[in-house]
Formats: sequence, C-alpha cells, structure tokens
Amino acid sequence: MNFVAPDFMPVVPELFVLTMACLLLVIDVFLEQRQRYITYGVAQLTLLGAALLTLVTYAHAPVTTMFGHYIKDAMGDLLKIFIYLSSAAVFLYSRDYLRRRDLFKGEYYVLGLFGVLGMMIMVSAHSLLSVYLGLELLSLSLYALVAMDRDSPVASEAAMKYFVLGSLASGMLLYGISMIYGATGSVDLQVVSDAVARQGADNLVLVFGLVFLVVGLSFKLGAVPFHMWLPDVYQGAPTSVTLYIGSAPKLAAFALMMRVLVDGLGTLQGDWQQMLIILSVLSIALGNLVAIVQTNIKRMLAYSTISHVGFLLLGILAGSPEGYAAAMFYAIVYVLMAVGAFGMVIMLGRTGFEVENIDDFKGLNDRSPWLAFLMLVIMMSMAGVPFMAGFYAKWMVLQAVVNIGLVWLALFGVVFSVIGAFYYLRVVKCLYFDKPEQSEPIHISLDTEIAISANGLLLVALGLYPTALMTWCATALLN
Amino acid sequence: MLPFIPLIVLLAAMLPPLAERYDGRNAGAWTTALVTALALAALLFLSPAVFSGGVQRAGWEWLPELGLNLSFRLDGLALLFGLLITGIGLLVILYARYYLSEHDNLGRFYSLLLLFMGAMLGIVLADNLLLLLMFWELTSLGSFLLIGYWHPRADARRGARLALTVTAGGGLALLGGFLLLGHIVGSFELSAVLAAGETVKQHPGYLATLLLILLGVFTKSAQFPLHFWLPQAMAAPTPVSAYLHSATMVKAGVFLLARLFPVLADTDPWFFLVGGVGLLTLLFAAYAALFQHDIKGLLAYSTISHLGLITLLFGLGTPLTAVAGVFHIINHAIFKASLFMAAGIIDHETGCRDMRQLNGLFKFMPQTAVLAILAAAAMAGVPLLNGFLSKEMFFAQTIHSAALGGAGVLLPVLATVAGVFSVAYSARFIHDVFFNGEPINLPRIPHEPPRYLRVPVEILVVVCLLVGIVPAYTVGPMLAVAAVSVVGGPLPPYSLAIWHGFNLPLLMSALALAGGACMYGQRQWLFRLRDRYPLPVGKILFGRSQRAVISATRQITGWLENGSLQCYLAWLLGTAVLAGGWGLASGGKLTGEVPLQPLDGLSLLLALLLAVAALLTVFWQRQRLTALIVLGVVGLVVVLAFVRFSAPDLALTQLTVEVVTTILLLLALRFLPAEAMVESALSRRLRDAGLAIMVGLGVAILAWGVLTRAPHTALVDYLLATSLPGGGGANVVNVILVDFRGFDTLGETTVLAIAALGIVALLAGGLPTPTAPPVAARDADRHPLLLRMGVRPILAVTLLLAAYVFLRGHNLPGGGFVAGLVTALGLVTQYLAGDFRWTAEKLGFDHQRLIAVGLLLIALTGLMSTAFDHPFLTSTFAHLHFPLTGEFEIASAMIFDLGVYLIVVGVVMLILLELGQSETAEGAWNC
Repeated sequence: MNFVAPDFMPVVPELFVLTMACLLLVIDVFLEQRQRYITYGVAQLTLLGAALLTLVTYAHAPVTTMFGHYIKDAMGDLLKIFIYLSSAAVFLYSRDYLRRRDLFKGEYYVLGLFGVLGMMIMVSAHSLLSVYLGLELLSLSLYALVAMDRDSPVASEAAMKYFVLGSLASGMLLYGISMIYGATGSVDLQVVSDAVARQGADNLVLVFGLVFLVVGLSFKLGAVPFHMWLPDVYQGAPTSVTLYIGSAPKLAAFALMMRVLVDGLGTLQGDWQQMLIILSVLSIALGNLVAIVQTNIKRMLAYSTISHVGFLLLGILAGSPEGYAAAMFYAIVYVLMAVGAFGMVIMLGRTGFEVENIDDFKGLNDRSPWLAFLMLVIMMSMAGVPFMAGFYAKWMVLQAVVNIGLVWLALFGVVFSVIGAFYYLRVVKCLYFDKPEQSEPIHISLDTEIAISANGLLLVALGLYPTALMTWCATALLN
Repeated sequence: MLPFIPLIVLLAAMLPPLAERYDGRNAGAWTTALVTALALAALLFLSPAVFSGGVQRAGWEWLPELGLNLSFRLDGLALLFGLLITGIGLLVILYARYYLSEHDNLGRFYSLLLLFMGAMLGIVLADNLLLLLMFWELTSLGSFLLIGYWHPRADARRGARLALTVTAGGGLALLGGFLLLGHIVGSFELSAVLAAGETVKQHPGYLATLLLILLGVFTKSAQFPLHFWLPQAMAAPTPVSAYLHSATMVKAGVFLLARLFPVLADTDPWFFLVGGVGLLTLLFAAYAALFQHDIKGLLAYSTISHLGLITLLFGLGTPLTAVAGVFHIINHAIFKASLFMAAGIIDHETGCRDMRQLNGLFKFMPQTAVLAILAAAAMAGVPLLNGFLSKEMFFAQTIHSAALGGAGVLLPVLATVAGVFSVAYSARFIHDVFFNGEPINLPRIPHEPPRYLRVPVEILVVVCLLVGIVPAYTVGPMLAVAAVSVVGGPLPPYSLAIWHGFNLPLLMSALALAGGACMYGQRQWLFRLRDRYPLPVGKILFGRSQRAVISATRQITGWLENGSLQCYLAWLLGTAVLAGGWGLASGGKLTGEVPLQPLDGLSLLLALLLAVAALLTVFWQRQRLTALIVLGVVGLVVVLAFVRFSAPDLALTQLTVEVVTTILLLLALRFLPAEAMVESALSRRLRDAGLAIMVGLGVAILAWGVLTRAPHTALVDYLLATSLPGGGGANVVNVILVDFRGFDTLGETTVLAIAALGIVALLAGGLPTPTAPPVAARDADRHPLLLRMGVRPILAVTLLLAAYVFLRGHNLPGGGFVAGLVTALGLVTQYLAGDFRWTAEKLGFDHQRLIAVGLLLIALTGLMSTAFDHPFLTSTFAHLHFPLTGEFEIASAMIFDLGVYLIVVGVVMLILLELGQSETAEGAWNC
C-alpha cells in the first residue's frame, strides 16, 4: 500500500531533538570521562537549537500534521520554550553536582533529552495515542534517571516504586483511552470532541473512560490521592534528577490536561470539574499540612509541589479562558520557582556532602548573602507573598475560581496558603536567623551563579511586571 | 506628587547604609531624617486641599487586567496617618541615633526603618485594595526584620518569627477578603469600593468577606485572641517598639477598620464581631498589663488594651463613635510613643526593665520621671491630658449605645472596669518605677540620659498637654477632616472641650481613677490570685494548636506515606475503584444495546475452567512451580476461548507465546526459593483480598459495559476491504504487520533486537547461583536417553511446521512471528532434553547474527521499493504457479516477514539461552 508522507515542517523541533539525542548517544560512547563536557555542551546546544527552531516557526494559527496526531499551536510553542529554558537550567545546575558524585555520564543528558522530546510530544499531542506516546517516553526516561545512581539503595528503591506505580497508572490511562476510543471510534482529539458533544455524559463507557483518564493524568501530575510516589521519588532520587522531575514535566502535564480534558472532553466539563475539585482540595490540604513536619528539604518541596498542583488544578477546573490562562501562568511560574529551589539545594552541596535537610540552610546569610537573598525570593514567591511572581499566580487562579461562583473553594485555597506560608518561612528563618552549622565556603562556578541569579531576579521581575507573561499566556490560549 | 511619597521613601531605604559608609553614623541618621522630613513636607504641602474637603487621587495603571493599579489617594484619614507616621518617625529617628550603641549597625537599622515607613505610608495612601495589601504584607516583612534586628538574641528571633507568622498569615486572610470584596464590587479601586457600601452589605458573601478582612485586621492590631505576637515583639530595640506601638503596624489594623468603615460597618455581624472582640481585648489586655513585671511588657499589653478600645469604638458603628475612635488613635499614638521612649531611656540608663528591681528612680532622673509621669497620666485618662478627652468621649458613647437593648447597662460598667485597670497599670508604671523605695541590684547607676535622647519625649509630652488643654485649636481641624473620611458624610455634632459639666462620663472617669488607685493599692493580693489562676493566654493556645496540627500531620504521614509500596498500590487501586464506582453511579446505562448470545455448555465450561485455574493460581501462589503450571492452564483456556470465538490467528499466537513465556518463567524460577514465605499480616492479606475482589468486579463491570455495545467497525471494515487488493493477503493481521503498518513493525523489531542485546548485556554481569538444589544431585540419569532421542525428530517436525505456518501466513493464520516462535520452541526443546553444551556445539549458530540478518532483510525490503520509485516500504506481490503446490503467491512482504521470523527466533533463543546458560557446569538445563 502507498505511504503518504505527512508534512514534517511543524515537527522540525521534535525531529531535531530526536536526532540530536540519538547522535549524542553515539558521540558519548566515544568520549573519555574528561571529555564529558562535550556531551553536556551538545545537550545544551540541542536545547538552544530547538528553542531557536520553535521561535522561528512560532505558530500563529494551529496546524495539525502526522495524520492528526500532532498539533502545533501557540500554547504548545510557548510551553515548549519554557520547557527548553527550564531543562537548560536543570542541565546547568546539575553539572557540577553530577561531576562531584561521579555521576557525570552521558546517560543523564541523553535521557534528559529524550524526556524533553517526550514532553514536546505531550505538549503537541492531538490524539490520545500521541498523548500516551509522549507520556511514556517521558516516564521511561524518568524511571531510568531516578535509578541512575545505581550504588544508592534509596535511589533504586525510589525508582522501583516509581516504576511500579507509574506503570499501573499508565495502565489505567490506557484503559481510559481504550474506553474513549470504544465510545467514540477515534483517538483524534478533534473527532473525540465532536463525538462526545453528540453523545454527552449518558454514555457510561465514555464516563468510565474519562474517570480512568483523570486517574492516570492525576498520577502523572502528582495530585492527591495519587501522589504517593512523589515524596519518595523526590527524596530518593539524586538531587539533579529531582530537579529535572520537579520542573519541566509539570508544564507538560499541564498541557496534557489541557489537551485531553479541555480540547478532547470539553463537553464533559461538568463531570471532570467535580473530580478536579476533589483532587485539588485534597492536594492543597494534604500538601500544605504535611509539608509542615518535613525536615528533609527535598521532601518538603515535594509536598509543596503537591499543593501547587492543587492550585494549578483550580485554574483548569474553572473551565474558563481566564482560568486556563491562570493555570498556564501558574505552571510557568511554578517551574521557575521549582528550578530555583532545587537549584539552590544542589548548589549548596559539596563533594561528600549532600544538602538534605532544611537545617543545612542555616545561616546561609552569613556564608553567602546573595544566595540567601535568592533563596528568600524563591521561598517568598512559593509562599505567594505579594510583590512576588507566585502571588499573581495564586491570585489569578483564585480569581478564576471566584468568578465561576466557587467562593468556598477560593477561601479554602487562601486558608491553606496561609498554613503553607509557615514552612516556607521556616526556611527563611534558617537562612537569616540561625547560626551556620558549616563554615566551608560555597564554590559555585560563574555560569551557574549567573543563571541562578537570573532565575531569582526573573521571579522578582515577574512579581513587579507580570503583565507580559500573562498576556502571552492568554493570547497563546486564544488561537 | 502623591504617589512619590511612599515610593521615594521605599527607594530611599537603600541610602542610609551608603551614607553611613561614606560619612559616618550621623550621615545615615541625617539622610533618613531628611527623607522623612521631605515626605512630611510633601504631605503638608498637599494638606490645604484636604482641609478644604477634597480628596486627591493620583497614580498609574499597573496591571489593569488584574485590577491592580498604582493609585493613591489623600483624604483626611490618609493625611492624619501620614502625618503621624512621618512625624513620630522623625522623632524615632532622632531617638534611635542616641539609643543604639556603637556596636549596632545603624545603617541597616535606618534602612529597615525607611522600608517599614514607606510600606506604612503605602498602606494609608493606597487607593487600590491590592496595592494596599502589598504594602500591608511589606509592613509584616519590615516589622519582622526590625523586631529581629538584634538577631543573635534568641528572643528577638522568636519574636520576629511569631510576628511574621501571625501578621503575614493574617495578610493572606485579608487577601481572601479583598478578593471577595473586589468580586462583589467589581473593582479593586478603593474609591469604587467606598461608594458601594450598600451593595456589599446586601451581598450574600458579605459575612465571609467581613470575617476574612477582620482576621487580617485583628492579627495586625493584636486583638484577642491573636494578640500574643505583640508582647513577644518587645524584643525589638525600643525605638522600633515605640514606632510599632504608636503610629504604625498595630495602627495599620485599626486604620483599615476606619478605612472600610463606610463599606462594612453598621450591620449586626460588624457590631458583634468588631465590638465584641474589641471589648474582650480591652478588658483582657488591661487586666494582663497590670501583672507584667517588664515595663515594656506592661506597655505592650496596654497598647493591646487601647487598640481594643479603638476597635470597640469602631465596632459600635455610629458616626460619633467613629469620631471618638479616630481621636483616640491620635492620642494613643502620641502618649504611647513617649511612654516607650521613656521606658527605653530607663532601660538604657539602668540596664534593667524589671519593675521589681527598678524603684525610686525619681531622684536619679527627675526630668525623665516628670515626662514619663505625664505620659502615663495621659494613658490613665487624667484630666488636662489628651488621653482624658478621648476616654471621656468613649465613656459617653458607651452610655448612649442602644444596640445592646436591655443589656445596655453592661457596656458602661465594663468600660469603667477597663478604665479601673488602665489607671491601675498606669499607676504601677509611675509608682513602681519612680518611687516605691530604692532600686535593687541595678546593673548600672541610673542617671539622666543624653540630651537628645530626651528631646523626642519632651516634644511628645508637650503635644499631650497641648491637645489635652486646648483640643479645639490643636487637633480639632485634623480630627474633623479625618473623621469625615471615616464616616463618609457630614459629621454629627460633638464637642472637643475639657469641661462638659458634671455628667455620667465624668463620674465614670472619677470612678476609674479612684478604683484604679485602690486596685493598685491592693495589687499584692491580686498578684497572688493571678498566680493561682493563670488565664489561658493566646500564645499558649497558638502553641497548642500548632502542636496539634503538627502531630496530626505526623499521623497522616505515617498513615499515607509510610514508604511501603504495597500500601501505595492499595491506595492507588482503592481510589481507582472508588473513582470507577463514582462513574458507575453517575447514572448512565451500563448494559449496551447488543443482544446477548445464548449460553452454551462449552463456553460455560471454559469460563468455569478459567475461574478455577485463576483461583488456584492465587491459592498456590507461594508454591511457585505449581502456581506457574496452573497459570499455564489459564493461558491455555484463553487459547481455547480464541478458538471458540473464531480467532485462530490469535489462538496460534497466544499458544506459542504462552509456551515460550512459561519456559522463560521456569528458567527464572530457578533463582528463587521453591516456596515463598508469608510476609504480610493477616489483616493486610484480607485487605488485599478485598481490594482484589473489588478491582476484579470493577473490571468485569467495565468489560460488560464495553462488550454489550456495538463495536466501531469503521477501521475493521476498511482493513478487511483493502487487505487483499492493497496488501495482497487475506490474513488481515499479517498484512497489517508486514504491510499496512510495516514501518511500525520495522521499529518494533528493532526495539526487540535492542532489548535482547540489552538483556544479554545485563545478564553478562552474572546471575546469582540458582537456589534450587541441582536435580543432578538427586537424579543420576540427568539426560534420559529416551527423551533425548525422542526429541530429535521433533525438531524436524517443528521446523516443517514453522515453514508451513510461515508460508501460509499472508493469507491464512500464521506468519513470520508465529513461525519464529515455533522454530524457537523446537530448538529450545533440544536444549532442554539434551546436554546443554553438546546441543550448543551441534546447533551452534550465532543468534546475534541472526537478528542482524533479520533486521537487514527488513530494511532492504523497504529500500527495494525506493529503487522502483515508490516510497519506502511500498509492497508488491505476484502469483506464481508451482508444480505440485499449485498457485502460490509471492509478495515482497514475504521477505519482510522472513526478517521478522529471523529476529523472533534470534531474540527468543538469545534470551532463553542466556538465562539458562548462566549456570554452573551444566545443571540448569536438566531440571
């Protein structure tokens, strides 16, 4: 039978990343350990190249290709740009960390790039098939990354848990996809959307499909009660990997929610809204409460992630363009904060010493006032203190929720962000008011320091002038 | 000019350290004072317009889509607060210059002070709720840094943290309140909000809005039971305390009450919440103040009490009480600032703040003593001082308040009681410190302070006196314009005179003075009483609730996050079952429209067999070999089911795959003990059993729902229609594999090949020694001759079968994949039956090479079509006539299928042999 080649132009960034990742796999084999910087450099160049390609081809009107499995639109391109950006920051921040712990291997970058590719596919998915494809490409890369430090029993255990639970969740997602296919006869989100609009929520198979889709997606997003993997994995994985998991994948997960729930099953909004309300209420409550008692900073940040996911869901469940824009803004700001926070955790580590506990931040102000200030900015932003980017993120999603009449939900969010502020402030207290427990000077390479400074200052800048990004999000969602 | 006042003060916060570095300590102080004086001058410059009744507004748009604008307004209330903040700020700057020691970083202090002052000015001048909120949180942050100024001290750190937690938390509650308020009004501009008072009060969200805003106000203004951070905050340097307690911070709360008075006041919830909390705070803090031994502690509680008074006045909700409230704000700011400064002088010159040691200071520092006595008298409400006037007004309002109806008499009585306590603690401050015998064990010999440390106190006390004696000429106009903007309309008549004749308020004042003196006289008795029955203080409650939350979350963690994968899985599955149940309950119809087929005996038998086999697998799960065998039964029943429902192709595949996996599992089992131990408790197993049953039921229900619906046949129809003409084969499955989705197959086989190589690489690291004892040890006849000989002809038969299955594959059930598995099975049987090495030598071919050849074949087939100018992997077919066999179809897809065949054989053999071979000597294959 004849094979008709699809239009490859819209997928050029994906193809570029794929080619470079494969190439890197080969190049890395021929490198000696002291030449490993080449791998790092190529990985960064790949992200840069992909960013340029995406910018050059920035979509002003949506284009579908690959037989309807792929869509290139402004939302996708915007999210991809931030995925490249945060991944580049992740690679940069973790470089010295990996080198110090003898983990400076090509695998990290190759798997990282494949993960980026998976995220790109998720972001641009226009059928349930490509949704699954991207998700699994990302998940498999992550499983392997978590297990990268093979000598660490904690990391292996975390990877095992992540893999088993993740496979189960993937199974449920597939189950949901197959039911939706059964009910609508297609995996193309456009066709699914039309079919769902005809059938409505009367078709029980469709409802089941929706339920399992939401279960699967919530797991990947880390919403309560599907969050159990998150703290264990965040804590167990090498910090460089935690940094990776905690950042860009959240953008992809947001895009996934948008593609599947809004684009594909938008007419079932009444059904998924209820589910998302439960998920977000549980996530916000549990995340904020349990974070209070954590002494391990990675674990604390894991619970903070869970609570942020709850807030992100608030924006989506509002089901209005305003809410989607708010959620998108939230996701982007969250990723900037997470990259910064885990970046700080990574940077304070030294050879033979890993920053694990909140106490390790004690007296940072005496050791490095600038880093302490950056951490202050990040923590304040996460807590949602006014003048910080995180404040607008929270504000916008809460406003979206109020505008659809769910005032109680907004109040609930406010009450728990008050409780949540507590544990961020505890870190601030450690930074400024406690005596340092170690006196070793902090060595950070110049490029890393510039990057983390830019990261922190970006949060301040977004706090002072968030309009540009907000408008960008809103217009990206419009077309 | 207006917007620049707070912004420039905020920006100037970075100047003092620079100035100090450039030109010494005085330069820092001068810079700060200059900035503050500039702000004060700017306010004064703008004030004439305000006094003539106008409201000035200025600013820019910032984030209009959020409703956040940099807009400012200057009305009477804002002007009053602005003047207090900058005026008292100037005095504090002067005071701090001489109060702080050589070791303190003065630049940092002034920098923080300016930051805080700028934020306070922002609060009072903001014309946008969101902007106000931002400055509000900035004051929380600023006060945190100021209170923690001496951060090496533990109490300073604790106090700062507590203040930040409580006030910033309250700020977030305020955020919620503003969110609702803005939602109700439709704008965050204060001017719009102030005009929408009636809309807000009618709105169903009014109560929630009020509650949240009040939560913010009460935390900031230290109202009971959220007052506990303020006494802790006295760990701050005294200039800071003087500033926080008089014109700023705690006043921000009552400022907001006054600001939103036209919008929120005059309803029942307002009256009971604001008035009730105010009254409670007034009484409680006045009582608590009496028992403080620390002079700053006494003053801190007196601040709380006076703020309670102001809150109560606003809570009463009439225009007259609002006037009284504003008046008391002014008076309290003035006398409290002077009192704190006086206390600071005492602390500075004696090194001690404990009233049990500080006695008889009058003769050491008579001038300071006079000033402090005057200020304390103002606090107590002694005539001729400013405190007296507002207290009289307060007493008068309590009498006239009609809101409580029959219980109306209660309010004046309680007010008088509070007055009694107020007089008593003021008396204690005066008498204990300046008289009452001789000082005890003071660290330093007390003496008068440096000149400039006392100047601010002198100024403030003079103001106290002036306001107290000629109120109408001093604060009169200011009070009037400020009150107008609070009330939001014309003011009711009131009189600012000292003497109103003999009336009830005067009597109450007299009673309070006399009672207070008596109570002070009897203080020893009261102290003993209090020691016996301490009150549950907010701080303890706060600590307790904090501990409760922490222990609760510990429990949740232990319960949900115990690190056990089994637990996580149970949660995941349990929630999935619940979610599925929710879907089921959503009301749709489960059974579809397809009619059910009649039940026949064979199907029933198969189903029963399947169920029994599945149950037996669970039952024997710990005896691994047995479980594996029963599991094989499950697989075979599935094969039969495929045959029964006319899917021979699937049956064939399932059968071969089943056998191969069983062998694989058998090989893997050798590394595990023959029997698994019971590791989990009975309760857990019961839970798991329940969960398993629920999940099984759920899946069955889902399958029922799906199977009773008509399947979508569009794809099937298309494939059936195009398979023969398009792909030249009647076996659709095979045509899909090798033709329609040939690209996918190419990818899949490549992945399979890579996976096999990966497994080889992994196993090369060495497997553990099998745990099962080698059969050889027990059985001498390791390679039964009969079996060995019998198996050899079977190879020929299986190969023939494979060829047959392969060749018919394009049109009938079969194909390269199945043929590959069949071949591999035949080969593996040889290894199983015979001696491993011997067989390997005889059969020795390189499986990796086999895989490579297979991949090459597939790729070549694909490339071949490009040679004929067709896209990659386009297939073609032709029909040939052979003698004997008759018509025979040959398709390019067949070469493709051959590649698949080779890869499958190679991969299966590679994996199985690798698993089996990693064996000491030759025991493995003999089990």
